[in-house]
Amino acid sequence: MTTPQATAHNKVEGHWKVIAQSKTLDAGRPLLPITLGNDRFVLFRDEEGGLGLIGRNCPHRGADLCFGRLEDNGLRCPFHGWHFDRTGQCVEQPAEPEGSKMYTQIKVPMVPVKEENGVISAWCETTGDKT
Amino acid sequence: MISQALNDQITRIGPNTDAGNVLRQYWQPAALSDELAGEFPVAVNLLGERLALVRSGDGALQLKTRIVPQGEPAAHCPAAQEITLDPDGATYPAHEIKGAVFAYMGPGDPPEFPNFDCFRAPDSHVFAFKGLWRCNWLQALEIGIDPAHASFLHRFLEDEDPSDGYGKQFRDKAAHTDMPMTQVLRDYPRPEIQVDETDYGLKITALRHMENDLTHVRVTNQIFPEAICIPMSREMTITQWHVPIDDENCYWFTIFTSFNNPVNKDLMRDQRLKEHRLPDYAPLKNRENNYHYDPAEQETLTYTGMGLDINVHDQWAVEGMGAIQDRRQEHLGRSDVAIIRYRRMLRKAIADLAAARPEELPMQGRADVSAIRGPLSNDAIAPTENWQSASHAADTARRAECPWDASV
Repeated sequence: MTTPQATAHNKVEGHWKVIAQSKTLDAGRPLLPITLGNDRFVLFRDEEGGLGLIGRNCPHRGADLCFGRLEDNGLRCPFHGWHFDRTGQCVEQPAEPEGSKMYTQIKVPMVPVKEENGVISAWCETTGDKT
Repeated sequence: MISQALNDQITRIGPNTDAGNVLRQYWQPAALSDELAGEFPVAVNLLGERLALVRSGDGALQLKTRIVPQGEPAAHCPAAQEITLDPDGATYPAHEIKGAVFAYMGPGDPPEFPNFDCFRAPDSHVFAFKGLWRCNWLQALEIGIDPAHASFLHRFLEDEDPSDGYGKQFRDKAAHTDMPMTQVLRDYPRPEIQVDETDYGLKITALRHMENDLTHVRVTNQIFPEAICIPMSREMTITQWHVPIDDENCYWFTIFTSFNNPVNKDLMRDQRLKEHRLPDYAPLKNRENNYHYDPAEQETLTYTGMGLDINVHDQWAVEGMGAIQDRRQEHLGRSDVAIIRYRRMLRKAIADLAAARPEELPMQGRADVSAIRGPLSNDAIAPTENWQSASHAADTARRAECPWDASV
């Protein structure tokens, strides 16, 4: 699967880097820790079958999302229930007051991914140090 | 989000650091009395210094500097015969109280001990234990002043029988109802949090508004600089220091205090020794074995998939942030209001020390320290309209029934 973001990023210089095999990801709970350069990410598959490769530490207080709960078509941090979709957008903060819109301002770093013939690749921009 | 410079200032605690100077104004828990059963000296690693407890001729305990081989791991506890004391190193006073040895590593005379419940209760009613966490002390403290996380991190998808809950956190019934505490936390995840500055630190009140105009009131406390005092069950409270070993390791160091009945120390110790190894009190569930994480359990039984011991959940949360949490990346919300207030107090204390005003720090001379009691630390379910007086009355009733003088 090539995400729309990936298409946009193709204008920037970079390359696709193989990060996982689909059968490895889907062997059990579909979630894997991924390191690109110095940056740590978590790769997961949501209930629609889409892939997310997002920053590994929760943007709230830094808990490790590799132990997150795969539910509600995304990844939920077990620390305070902050919920992220596969683009890294925070979609719910269940401990914040009713009606709070803070979640709309919270997004985890996201790296575009594609899945072809059972191989999952991440888009690595050449200018960054993510290779 | 804060700057790297500010994060360094409020986390690093070695000699002659800003936060380290603040911590050194207070008695620090250095060892459990249980650790004094064998030969002296007894290795202690505290505030970035390598030390050992010795008994001087008159029987008094002292902390002395020890000479350490290059590369000794932070929490390493060598046996007595392997310890070399440094004749030119610092010596600090130590004081054994309620199953714990405290040390004073700061300038001048040590301060008085406040009359907290854990120091006032008879020896029969207190029990001390500790455990190693592989992270900076501040993130360990901050989880303890964050009342919202208990509704998620410690969520049980099913409730245990509260009568099996002796010596465990959150396993009792809530206040005077038949509702397990775990159910209250699960059903009401958005507490309204109020924070009040006090002589000892912060009083933190978490209000969970329930059906039928009832409110669950949970009062916990931050005791400056690095302790918390929280209810464990209707019978017991936890007074817990998050004491630095160095910048990247700390101990939780707890004095459990019982109001009515003596503490069953053998049971409390056995429960905890089963989960830790000696002599460094490192937990058997840890980062190296993924905290025994079980995805199937996470789906059906617990929020974390890491078993029923809430200490393991907290340990995972704080160790997963990294050795020192990168607070340049954090986004604090309304649920973090006590953390924000605490950091303000710590920064004020740092500024007061830098300006040679140590008497401005909490419990350092402005107020009569011996008059500081309690603090009130309690769960209650009260009519929403008068939750304040109902919470206070529930605590007063418990104290009045207790065989030792717990009056406040």
